[in-house]
Amino acid sequence: MDSYITINDLHFTRGHRSIFNGVTLHIPRGKVTAIMGPSGTGKTTLLRLIGGQLRADSGQILLDGQDISQLGRKALFDARKKMGMLFQSGALFSDISVFENVAFPLRAHTKLAEDVIRDIVLMKLQAVGLRGARDLMPSELSGGMTRRVALARTIALDPELLLYDEPFAGQDPIAMGVLVQLIRLLNDALGLTSVLVSHDITESLSICDHVVILADGVVIGEGSPTELKKSDSPLLKQFLNGLPDGPVPFHYPANDYKTDLIG
Amino acid sequence: MFLVEFLIKNGRAGIDFSSTIGRSGIFLCRSILGLSLGPKGLKLLAKQIYMVGVLSLVIIVVSGLFIGMVLALQGYNILIDYGSEQAIGQMVALTLVRELGPVVTGLLFAGRAGSALTAEIGLMKATEQLSSMEMMGVDPLKRIIAPRLWAGFISMPILAVIFSTVGIFGGLLVGVDWLGVYEGAFWANMQSSVNFQEDVLNGLIKSLVFGLVCTWIAVFQGYDSVPTSEGISIATTKTVVYSSLAVLGLDFLLTAVMFSSI
Repeated sequence: MDSYITINDLHFTRGHRSIFNGVTLHIPRGKVTAIMGPSGTGKTTLLRLIGGQLRADSGQILLDGQDISQLGRKALFDARKKMGMLFQSGALFSDISVFENVAFPLRAHTKLAEDVIRDIVLMKLQAVGLRGARDLMPSELSGGMTRRVALARTIALDPELLLYDEPFAGQDPIAMGVLVQLIRLLNDALGLTSVLVSHDITESLSICDHVVILADGVVIGEGSPTELKKSDSPLLKQFLNGLPDGPVPFHYPANDYKTDLIG
Repeated sequence: MFLVEFLIKNGRAGIDFSSTIGRSGIFLCRSILGLSLGPKGLKLLAKQIYMVGVLSLVIIVVSGLFIGMVLALQGYNILIDYGSEQAIGQMVALTLVRELGPVVTGLLFAGRAGSALTAEIGLMKATEQLSSMEMMGVDPLKRIIAPRLWAGFISMPILAVIFSTVGIFGGLLVGVDWLGVYEGAFWANMQSSVNFQEDVLNGLIKSLVFGLVCTWIAVFQGYDSVPTSEGISIATTKTVVYSSLAVLGLDFLLTAVMFSSI
């Protein structure tokens, strides 16, 4: 398997809480990979580590052969030009229009003429179906539209790697369907490697080629969606079927109930 | 046991304090050096000078006018007892140029522009705009922080000069037009006693220092804020409190160094 991202024995602690205890995983090139797991397992943290916004305590994060955790400030900013990240909130710049938002990375990194920038921006907006919304301000967009504009901005510089942070969270069914289709379409049409972090099992499994499941700071399952569905690990079963109780208990750890009440 | 806890608590506070000072120092150096002088960078700078400087003009001009008028009124009532009310021009000008111009401008600047900077940057952080900029390979220190920092450095001395000038005219209005001090004496006394280097230049240096410190505190508090609504409210409060204290404390130090020999 040709992997675009290889993570070896990654350890990361935040405050006193250890988030990753030796995570090792591969993200195949040109495929859509979903990283899933219960809330609080550090899925978003993993994306931030891949993007170099956080530094690992130990271990390697190889991005196309380059160890992202060893890069200096300038090299890191250069490496980020190859990747795009779609934030959960969209993170559009609220003081400029949709058009200017999509044009932002182009203006920052290229010396293209204004009419070329205009064409590229319109093409990217067309790809997400929002060419008509180019003159709106971010505050005038709905949640689903915000995320699509953010997606257009993310692909403006034609990155090799797209990172999606909870792309489906808080979306209505139509917006969700649109996003699901866009992620798959963009990946195949632009030849990207896509990584999405999510706990929406149905949507994620329907579009991804590869799944990595994290729990308690380690990888508990990795493979294609069909392989994972066949697995008989109780933890995987609980997660994939959405069972309320199991290896991940319903109750937060506490003392004995009876003694707590009667004293 | 109590002693150990005491040590742990204070030790941790000490470590946090020094690491914040260190972080803000690195932050300041990177941002100051990060200003781009290309046409794009200058455009961003001009926009921030407008936001930070030009939009503060109203409060600066109005406060300057009233403070100059009050100074003349109070000064006149004291000076008239000694029959030296002609010295009112000198008194108003020296008070404004040496002290009140830089200090009051610093305090107003912290309240008007500093709090706005902190809230803006804090909200950008909370809505992931700074993170997304980083992920686009654009350094927010260069793009967002540097123009705001430089705009503060540039605006503050100009605002202080405007404050003092308007204040002197306020003094003229009350002293000459209302209380009837002879106008020739008003200007002549001012001209003979206000020294460019000792008074005007030192006042400018003060305002430059206040501008640097206030803007630094404001942008750092925003950048370092906890990205929640509560965190931003705390950061904005801190900006105003720290900036005001810094202006007043530094004013004493600078006055002691600059004017102690006079």
